[in-house]
Amino acid sequence: MDNLQKFVKQVKNQLFVILLINNMLILADWYILDHMLHLNFATLFAALIAASILSLTILPWFSTKYITQPTKLIWQAILHIAPDAGMVPAPDLKRKSIGHDMVMNLVSHVYQLANVVDGIEKTNAARPGDLSKNFVANSLPLPLVVLDKNDTVLFANHQMLDVIKRTDTETVGQNVYSVLDLSFGSTSHQTLDAWQKDVRANRPVAVKTWERVRLNVPATDQEADVPQFDLAAYYNKDNPEGFETMLVFFDKSESYGKDDQALSFVALAVHELRTPITVLRGYIEALEEELHDKLDPETAGFVHKMKAAAQSLTSFINNMLNVARIENNQLTLKLHQDSWADIVKATVDDETLHAGVLGIQITTDIAPDLPAAGVDRVSIYEVLANLISNAVKYSGKSKKVTVKSYLNSEGMIETIVQDGGAGIPASVLPNLFEKFYRSHRSRNQVGGTGLGLYLAKAIVDAHGGHIWVRSKEGEGSTFGFTVIPYAKLAEEKKTGDNNDISRGAHGWIKNHSLYSR
Amino acid sequence: MDTPQSTPAAGRKILIVEDEHFISELYVRALGRGGYDVTVEVDGKRGMELAQTNNFDIVLLDLMIPTMTGIDVLRQLRAPGAKPLKAKIIITTNLEQREDIRADIESHADAYLVKAEITPRELVAFVDTIK
Repeated sequence: MDNLQKFVKQVKNQLFVILLINNMLILADWYILDHMLHLNFATLFAALIAASILSLTILPWFSTKYITQPTKLIWQAILHIAPDAGMVPAPDLKRKSIGHDMVMNLVSHVYQLANVVDGIEKTNAARPGDLSKNFVANSLPLPLVVLDKNDTVLFANHQMLDVIKRTDTETVGQNVYSVLDLSFGSTSHQTLDAWQKDVRANRPVAVKTWERVRLNVPATDQEADVPQFDLAAYYNKDNPEGFETMLVFFDKSESYGKDDQALSFVALAVHELRTPITVLRGYIEALEEELHDKLDPETAGFVHKMKAAAQSLTSFINNMLNVARIENNQLTLKLHQDSWADIVKATVDDETLHAGVLGIQITTDIAPDLPAAGVDRVSIYEVLANLISNAVKYSGKSKKVTVKSYLNSEGMIETIVQDGGAGIPASVLPNLFEKFYRSHRSRNQVGGTGLGLYLAKAIVDAHGGHIWVRSKEGEGSTFGFTVIPYAKLAEEKKTGDNNDISRGAHGWIKNHSLYSR
Repeated sequence: MDTPQSTPAAGRKILIVEDEHFISELYVRALGRGGYDVTVEVDGKRGMELAQTNNFDIVLLDLMIPTMTGIDVLRQLRAPGAKPLKAKIIITTNLEQREDIRADIESHADAYLVKAEITPRELVAFVDTIK
């Protein structure tokens, strides 16, 4: 009833404002005509009538649309679910209109009534407590779990309990995130909790599906793989039974497992490629050591180029492996507290070799008081290395690349990589972070696979950061990305459901003499 | 830059368990020049037995080696109740880790290196930092 009263009050205010405007207009009209233009009575009367008619035409036209908006939305909701009303789209409740709360409430009731009519009769509907005896839910050959609006588990069917290896009493009444340890892949744009937050604010009913969701369960067998599911969620606001979200899992471990085997093929190929590269890099170095004072500058340059080429081949192999990981939802990170300045310096050192061959100078400028970052060192290294090596490739005649790190206005650690090269046309900028995308110029000028930026974006996203590019033709390009300071991340995680600062437990990506303790 | 650095190495003993001949040759050369006393073993099982003699300060252990995989060698060397080793164990591999063995490497090894990522000289610099 509160909502209704609120709506009535809003309409009252609305009408008051409209009438007030109307009266003011007529008064103003009269004042102007009488006192300023000094017209006779007949003309004055006619003009006032004309002004009233004009305002009576215009004001209702404006206000009706506004005041009847709730009726329109509810009408739309009813017709949307009516069996023979044709195709009426669901009402768009994102735009706040007059009587918004009442509309939300009524529309959600409309949808609930529709569900009740479609399903069991309302009086016979099972109450939450009786659901454990619900034959239908327990006979469903899919794991199913039902949550209330506080994310507490109201019901989990037998299949669900089998998967998570818990009893009914260990599950019902618990927070869902303490019962289900879900990892969403880096290809999912929204995790379950982010989706819930969104629909709770904006929608009466909603449905969403995810692919390749891992459900981390206590392992009984060391060799067993983490099961992988497709997940479907149904959301219903203010359901009278107290159900808000229903999750159904489809076990896809077998088919996704085959993809993982394909990944192990990539892993094997990577191993086979890395061995000769290790040998090659080793002997090039030995050659350089043995001959460094006996070679003329030109020959020494040859050796140096061989060295740089072998190093880029190593990076390419890592990119290939990581892209395979992303595609298979296996790129997961462990975020640790780490000195950002150290990471930047180490990466710049590694990239200096290749830059030196091309006569390009890399300048670094790191703000002295940067806080520690919360990063997966090995994978964030990839991001930085990819951006710097791109900048080196595209730095053109300027022969200069600048790397800067600072704390930005949002309290994130931001790092930018600038080159003074040809720049990127505006038309291709939006596609730069797509897989295999290479800007037109690079096709004929520089080698590359178009994997680097795609990979960089996936890794930065998984860190909870943001990657961007600014470029103007002829004025060079600036790529930037942010990572979260460790303190901020720790704070976030404390209030969230994850106690541990880690994102899943899959794969540490490559190692760059970093995994020491 | 390639004069032997006797200070950090100081004749420390290293066992390399590695079946790729070219790689072990490179590592022996670089570590030898770095002042280390280097022994090479190709076979996993014999490598484990050698490590158990406790004559080494550092063991570089590859994962894909004959007769016994590096991960099994690592598990046995660090098994509960096994004779405590004074050696630090560094996994040197070009293999990407599977989930199930990764946890073991993290808990049992002292360091982990991807061979393709480092040159022999960088390996020496790295080993110098392992105390």
